[in-house]
Amino acid sequence: MIQVKNLVFQYPKNDGPTLKGLSFEIDKGEIFGFLGPSGAGKSTAQKVLYKIYYDYQGSVRVDGKSLHDWDKHYFEKIGVGFELPNHYLKLTGRENLDLFATFYPNGKKRNVDALFEMVDLESDIDKAVETYSKGMKMRLNFIRAIQHDPDILFFDEPTTGLDPVNAHKIKQHILNLKAKGKTIFVTTHSMETADQICDRVSFIVDGELVVTDTPKNLKSKHGKKAVKIELANEQSKEFPLKSLGENADFLSFIKQGEVRRIHTLEASLEEVFIQVTGKSLKS
Amino acid sequence: MQKIIKLAFIDFKLIFRDPSLYTFLFLPTLLFALIIWVVPYLVGKYDFLEPYVPLMLIVCVVENTQMFSFISSMVLVDEKESNVATVYGIVPFKERQYLVSRFLFPYFFTVLLNIILFVVQPFYHFDWMNILSISLLAALVVPLYALTLNIIAKNRMEGLIYVKALNIVVLIPLVAFFVPGEWSHLFGVFPTYWIFKSVENVTQGISAGLMLGIGFAFFAGLIWFTSRSFLRRHFM
Ligand SMILES: Nc1ncnc2c1ncn2[C@@H]1O[C@H](COP(=O)(O)OP(=O)(O)OP(=O)(O)O)[C@@H](O)[C@H]1O
Ligand SMILES: [Mg+2]
Repeated sequence: MIQVKNLVFQYPKNDGPTLKGLSFEIDKGEIFGFLGPSGAGKSTAQKVLYKIYYDYQGSVRVDGKSLHDWDKHYFEKIGVGFELPNHYLKLTGRENLDLFATFYPNGKKRNVDALFEMVDLESDIDKAVETYSKGMKMRLNFIRAIQHDPDILFFDEPTTGLDPVNAHKIKQHILNLKAKGKTIFVTTHSMETADQICDRVSFIVDGELVVTDTPKNLKSKHGKKAVKIELANEQSKEFPLKSLGENADFLSFIKQGEVRRIHTLEASLEEVFIQVTGKSLKS
Repeated sequence: MQKIIKLAFIDFKLIFRDPSLYTFLFLPTLLFALIIWVVPYLVGKYDFLEPYVPLMLIVCVVENTQMFSFISSMVLVDEKESNVATVYGIVPFKERQYLVSRFLFPYFFTVLLNIILFVVQPFYHFDWMNILSISLLAALVVPLYALTLNIIAKNRMEGLIYVKALNIVVLIPLVAFFVPGEWSHLFGVFPTYWIFKSVENVTQGISAGLMLGIGFAFFAGLIWFTSRSFLRRHFM
């Protein structure tokens, strides 16, 4: 669906490029994620892909066609969930959505009331957006992105600024969109989000992709295939997972005292990120 | 076309829900009151003011354009500051349509204001061709002003500062009337000069055709130039 080769992009006023030769592909119907620290270039890469910045080098092809060759119809195909809320504050939620809905062909448009209900904003639909909280505005961003039922979706940090309940709902909605066959590109610096929803992730640091794989592969490649047992008497020991049931050491160890904790030493995505990139996601 | 109307209508809502914008709608009323009552009263009382009547009329013509120059500028600056402009960058909508939709109403409303001004002023009798062509020319100040302001101002704060500067810039060519002879044409680098000259010619019963022609060409060129620059940066 989307093929990116050696994408280089530099902001006109900067000394060097922000994106230093990115190559990746996003298949139809998959959720692909950019995971990286602040300033890595996640949003910039998305902006190139949704044609806000067109002075780039390298090739970007969508549906087999170069981004340069796509005309305004490209925007009927895509939906963008922006990183920050951007709405007319003096207009109501419904007016904001209706306004941008007029630009799309009529056939595919989704029902506005149902969209507001979907993100629990049905009682705020006719209130001015200036009365919305940040999280409410972000949810409005989300439904504006999907109101014309696009095939390709860009979500830039879709869950930042949301409480855990709403963040969970948004993630669920993104998974539902995937189930409908949509192609989805998300950016995040939350390894949890990446782990929960992405089919594949790329680690991006300083404008370069370090590794691209499924979260599952990344975790199992970089973790230990072992369990760690902690006893109530502070003793702890690691045992390989392989034929654990026949491991005499293991069996006698767990009889030595009360077991307080057992956990597998599979790495979290965050640990993998630090191992692979030498950087923390939080910085 | 439906999209254009819809957008123009949205601008209306934006204006009427923002007191800092809609209070400006009283500006033309004030100008009409001045030209219908105050100026004739003063001229009747103080003879030496008589030669300045064309100037006062010229100031009113330009001030009529300032209401929507300000409102349109601010609507666009706000839209940029709140990043709503970026959303227009990702919808299937031609940039030219975008410009037309934003200026269609402000432009024709401003044309109408000046037509009214020419009709209600008690000093001269203008023929319809002149009224219409001068009003059409003068209203071009609105898009040029708003585009220029949005190229230089990044946010509302800066916008309000540059508004003060531009409000003076549009009136600078008035100085030309106090400068002797050929030197006055130097003020022709200011586009409003050609509006001033057109009005002046008509009040003297001279044809304004050349002035209007230069004016339209000059404004068209500047609007073309500024709109390109505006469109390059507005949606980012
Ligand atoms: N308009 C701009 N002009 C110049 N430089 C910019 C611009 N926008 C971003 N940058 C720079 O490009 C780099 C990448 O920014 P970008 O917003 O893509 O990062 P990000 O990975 O999305 O970060 P975050 O997680 O904080 O959103 C940063 O160093 C930033 O300073
Ligand atoms: Mg970002």
